[in-house]
Amino acid sequence: MSVEYPSSPAGVPDPEQGESHAAGAPRARRTPAAAARLAGDSRLAIEIRGLVERGEMDEARERFGELVAMHQRRASRIAYQYLRDASEADEAVQDAFVKVFAHIGTYREAWPFEVWFTRILINGCLDRRKTRSRRDRWFVGSEISSADEARAAAAGSSADPEHRLLARERRARVAAAIDRLDGRQRTVFMLCHYGDCTPREISAMTGLTESTVRVHLFRAARKLRGLLGGKP
Amino acid sequence: MLRGRHLQEQRLLDSYLAERDGAPLDPPVAEHLADCGTCSARYAELASFMDALRHDGDAEADAIFTPDRLRVQQQQIARRIAQVGRPARVLSFPGRIVRSTLSASSARPASRWVAAGAVAGLVLGVALGASYQWGAHTPSQLLMRNSATPILTPVATRGSSPAEVAADEAFLSDLELALERPHTRELQAFDALTPHVREIKDLR
Repeated sequence: MSVEYPSSPAGVPDPEQGESHAAGAPRARRTPAAAARLAGDSRLAIEIRGLVERGEMDEARERFGELVAMHQRRASRIAYQYLRDASEADEAVQDAFVKVFAHIGTYREAWPFEVWFTRILINGCLDRRKTRSRRDRWFVGSEISSADEARAAAAGSSADPEHRLLARERRARVAAAIDRLDGRQRTVFMLCHYGDCTPREISAMTGLTESTVRVHLFRAARKLRGLLGGKP
Repeated sequence: MLRGRHLQEQRLLDSYLAERDGAPLDPPVAEHLADCGTCSARYAELASFMDALRHDGDAEADAIFTPDRLRVQQQQIARRIAQVGRPARVLSFPGRIVRSTLSASSARPASRWVAAGAVAGLVLGVALGASYQWGAHTPSQLLMRNSATPILTPVATRGSSPAEVAADEAFLSDLELALERPHTRELQAFDALTPHVREIKDLR
């Protein structure tokens, strides 16, 4: 499944209303500060577009760094959950940012920057998954690198090896369960839970209606609970 | 909204998402959750499942994408976007060779004119030759020549008198002789000195 681009930005929330959040914002609830940051990233993108159009590339590059800093963490989370490979996720995030900069001239203020950027990122991740599945038909699947595994294992606050082992197994179980979701359900679930997107934003990103997004979310959650026995 | 007297799963999930995003719960749902212990427990279970899933995923990704790694990523992005909008880099040949070639060619303009003249002459000559041949052998002439070619009479229909047979024999032996002789000019002198089988047979 690839994320379809809706022909018009209908249903896309107004960036000035700030219905989303920026990277690094508190995950539990959206604060007005986070909302202001969202509006800020769209404004910044417009500013960069203006700089590029005027040929002030050095200034544009410098300002783009701020945009990268805002969205980098969230983008890395999404890409990692999609690809389950740190290096590949890293590359996918880089590619998405480079693509955004190269095509900043096509950015329209009617779309929040976050929505536009996430679409580009998700499409890149989906392409990589497709490529990987084609490659895996011929080659033995690569395991997650031991360095990544060690870092992920150390994610738990406990230093207890047994606890870490259990955490690692749990993560592997969750990843396998998410992988078993239908393509569209997986995308919607990932964007909602790891990308912190609202159903409305996901609707704008994927071109699905908001009610369809809610149905996919519900089915994904039900399936995951079934697969994981009610607890992750 | 309610199935029997309890909230549907979909409704619970919607409420969870709304609460997560900082939106207020629907008043009827909030009321029901406050009154119904079963739904409240189901909601708490769903919320804890979803929160745990999210927390786990975030913790895992954050452990891999440390601030250092993100900084490196940012630098790589900066390096890559520095190339955007710039013309593609052209790999040049070794400078000395290029310089010497350029200086040599610019120092002798006359030789370049000579080369150009030679090329022009060649092209002109080829073109003239082609037009001459084309004029000499027009398609109609070629057609006429083809039609004028005599059809060879089969050998069986020719006369078989002893004189004609002897002439044919002589012709064929001359042909064989010509074929047997070396075609290389340098060897013809040796060939003349060497006695042939036929000549020896004739002597006998």
